[in-house]
Amino acid sequence: MIKKIFDWLKQPLGLIAVGIVFLAVFSAAAYGIYLTQQAPEQPVPEFPHQTHVAFGIQCLYCHPGASKGPAAGLPSQSKCWACHNQIQKTVDSAKLAPLKDAVINGESLEWIPVAIVPDFVQFNHRAHIAAGRNCEECHGDMSKVTIAENPQVMNMGWCLDCHIEAAGEDQEKLIKLSDCGTCHY
Amino acid sequence: MTTSSELNMPEIAMAEKEAGKWGMVIDQDICTGCQACVAACAMENNIAFVGEEDSGYGRAMHWIRIERFWEGEYPEVKMTNQQPMMCQQCGSAPCEPVCPAFATVHSMAESLNLQVYNRCVGTRYCANNCPYQVRAFNWRDYKRPEPLPNQLNPDVTVRRVGVMEKCTFCIQRIFKAQDQAKAEGREVMDGEFTTACAQACPASAIVFGRVDDPQSLVSQLKERSGGKTHLKELGTLPNVTYFNGG
Repeated sequence: MIKKIFDWLKQPLGLIAVGIVFLAVFSAAAYGIYLTQQAPEQPVPEFPHQTHVAFGIQCLYCHPGASKGPAAGLPSQSKCWACHNQIQKTVDSAKLAPLKDAVINGESLEWIPVAIVPDFVQFNHRAHIAAGRNCEECHGDMSKVTIAENPQVMNMGWCLDCHIEAAGEDQEKLIKLSDCGTCHY
Repeated sequence: MTTSSELNMPEIAMAEKEAGKWGMVIDQDICTGCQACVAACAMENNIAFVGEEDSGYGRAMHWIRIERFWEGEYPEVKMTNQQPMMCQQCGSAPCEPVCPAFATVHSMAESLNLQVYNRCVGTRYCANNCPYQVRAFNWRDYKRPEPLPNQLNPDVTVRRVGVMEKCTFCIQRIFKAQDQAKAEGREVMDGEFTTACAQACPASAIVFGRVDDPQSLVSQLKERSGGKTHLKELGTLPNVTYFNGG
């Protein structure tokens, strides 16, 4: 039975079939990987980070948790509305309709976080800001992007490279910053 | 006896020589065995509810348990003091050198036994080598019926199937207090925070704090006579001191 299948696969038609199956699997995998690298669709499509940065709005205005605690936070529609209710474009622009609808209906804008770590990693923004790190060192230059994207893969090697560099010659700091329990508990 | 240094153990599994950083004192004379600590621990640390069937197989998951012992022969039995038992955070822990994946390592910074969930491959060697039998293994992905997922502690990892877990001395509270103190530019004060079990104990039988600070409450309680550590003969250097019949 198995020999019959192999014999069939060895003829030209069989080889073509194998090739097609291989290509299909390979392209499906490639497409799957491509999808994971795409920024997710946000409730306000094409939210322009660069426009907001160009107006001189600080990162901490919309993400104030970064300097105070673990999570930076994503702004609620009331924060957007503080400025947007004074802007004519909010009424005219179709792109801003989700914001307008959310405010009128009293619903919340469900932003999708882009820079995420797995559940077994306990990340704290405050400690990193206090250590003198700037937002763009990890999140990229927001004056150049529309929807937030991850400029790099946030994995443990990337974290540790920076931790070891930050510790420098200080042995005590190195022990603390390379301790498993600092991030995993 | 072969010591770890003779075996040329990796530095990561190296034992401590002196008292650790964090410690606990448990007064069994005032412990009533009410199990408030067990409940508080389960809530704080997202411990799964195993259910009746798996509990019957001895797979119940608790990071702290109340042990009961009896003295004498039936019918003249006399119950001795209740004994809360949790991970003793040994300075020289038997669980650490047996882990093939280095998932249970010694924290040099906090002098605690860590359990790194994402490294654990579930060999269960550590639990079999623990003389206190305080480790719990996730035999299944135990479901939390609605609305219980809403009370999960965001500061603690929700463990999945095939992962070993144990008491961490509420390391998330330690880090939270340290972070808060650092933000305010001061040192962590004694009694500023405590573990979930110590906080819940209505009799204050559990006291937690810095044992390397002679001024702390836990150090002063530990200095009293009559304190003992469990299975001292094994040389595990536990950081939990028990007082019984004092």
